[in-house]
Amino acid sequence: MTDTAHKLLLVEDNEVNREMLTRRLKRAGYEVVTAGDGAEALERMRDSAPALVLMDINLPIMDGCTAVAEARKEPALQTVPIIALTAHAMEADRAKAIDAGCNDYATKPIDFPDLLSKIAGFLS
Amino acid sequence: MGNKRESAFQWSETIIAAVGGLKDVVSRPSTHLNDVVSDDMEALFEATFRLNKLINEPTDDAHHDAMNIIGAIRGYGEMLCEDESALPQDVLRGVKAVLVACQEESSGEGFRGLNALTDQKNVGVILAVDDMAENRNLVSRLLSKAGHTVLTAESGEEALELLQSQGVDVVLLDLMMPGIGGSEVLQSMKADPKLRATPVIMISGRQDMDQIVACIQAGADDYLLKPFNPVLLQARIAAGIERKRWYDKEEQYRQQLERNERFIRATFGRYLSDDIVNEILESPEGLELGGDLREVTIMMSDIRGFTTLSEHLPPATVVQLLNRYLGRMTDIILEYGGTIDEFLGDAVLAVFGAPKSREDDQDRAVRCAIAMQDAMTQVNEENAADGLPFLEMAIALNTGTVIAGNIGSERRAKYGFVGHAMNVTSRIEDVSKRGQILISESTLKKLTGDYTVGEKQTLSVRGIEESVVVYAIEGVAQ
Repeated sequence: MTDTAHKLLLVEDNEVNREMLTRRLKRAGYEVVTAGDGAEALERMRDSAPALVLMDINLPIMDGCTAVAEARKEPALQTVPIIALTAHAMEADRAKAIDAGCNDYATKPIDFPDLLSKIAGFLS
Repeated sequence: MGNKRESAFQWSETIIAAVGGLKDVVSRPSTHLNDVVSDDMEALFEATFRLNKLINEPTDDAHHDAMNIIGAIRGYGEMLCEDESALPQDVLRGVKAVLVACQEESSGEGFRGLNALTDQKNVGVILAVDDMAENRNLVSRLLSKAGHTVLTAESGEEALELLQSQGVDVVLLDLMMPGIGGSEVLQSMKADPKLRATPVIMISGRQDMDQIVACIQAGADDYLLKPFNPVLLQARIAAGIERKRWYDKEEQYRQQLERNERFIRATFGRYLSDDIVNEILESPEGLELGGDLREVTIMMSDIRGFTTLSEHLPPATVVQLLNRYLGRMTDIILEYGGTIDEFLGDAVLAVFGAPKSREDDQDRAVRCAIAMQDAMTQVNEENAADGLPFLEMAIALNTGTVIAGNIGSERRAKYGFVGHAMNVTSRIEDVSKRGQILISESTLKKLTGDYTVGEKQTLSVRGIEESVVVYAIEGVAQ
């Protein structure tokens, strides 16, 4: 139980940004699994049982909101906390994310300390 | 959409420039970073590289991708600043400049940001040498205001001592000083390999112009006449620093190359011909020492009946006989680009195609074998002249897949080969006759040149199900 409390799923299509966030989250003490698109995100949610999901909303193949909506249909994935990562300009994005089933959002560029406290809040 | 992309690209340029400044600071030989910082720094540079690539070859969603990469660069910058005490002052300044560039406000004002950063780029450590205190103070004040770190020395002797212990980017050198004068300091610097490339700006009055000219001929980079124009001073210092940066970068690069070269020569110099070593030096990442599967052409040769021949000879003579033969064969194998793997008494094991494969490995192996047999004539002439026995050699060639790698332990290792193909070659060698070159079908199939092919034989090899077909090679077709 203690192990899964530390595993995060990071869904981000931009490789460079994904690597940076992975490094920072790991340094903050979390185990990180990643996915590059919405379809992969669903697979990872099912097979890795993360304690929390960070989901970039603008994703290729299956976009973030669709992925979240799909996930929430599955009993096992109904309660996992999902924090949407949205581009700052789009207010509409944030509303869409919450409607699709995200618990919270963080706007890019990410305020990392703020993100860490959000994550900690959901995991406690 | 076009506008958004335009401004994103302009913003990116600002950031790339800032990272360039940081990179200059990081690559100075005097900069030492711990492992974690180095790692994060590399990641930051890599992300910047990707950003640069993106603006030169925009993707369909370039704006979105650029924003993400900028976010990553900023993230790495923040990571680096998390422990400020782990960074040298100038590196910290450089990282903060990058973070400033990554701020939203910088996105609209690319030019202003850029100027701030070019100033950042051109500050350095200046040594002002002058016997008069008011001159030192004046220069110190002027240059510190521009952001430089200023060290002073009141004599030539003090200057030279300081230069041994401190990293200095530019030296401002007064010509007329009691004790060791400016010219002598200059000459000492030019004679010292560590200081030779440090830019020197001579300062003097107009009356000493001819000495200034002599100094410039001796290697001084520039000069200023007293009373000097402060703007001119700044400009010349900036130019000097720029020059020093370029030199430092080149020096670092050169040292890296030297290190690579030494490693490769140490590892391979004894097994390979010079041109293969040079080829490897050009792309060392291509070397798989840990073990890789490769197709190679294996050559095994030995002198028929050597043991019997040498039984009655004194040991020193046996060695002389052997070395004349091996020396000649080694030269030929290296000439044909083969890798000598082992000498076992009179037997030679060589390989064509490792550590680097070439298209014509099989042909070279065959031509090498032919050359080796041809060379025996001369070897035997020399032997006869010394009253030594007549030697006859047999050579076997086989092409197959082997595992190649640095095999052994830390204390004793060699670049060696493992695989059935080795045993097969050995079997072919067993049946080859004096003066003969026997090659397997696998080698024959890949030959592109014309050779005179003789009798064919079919061999059975223990441990291999299929029989091995071999052919005698009699020479190059005329």
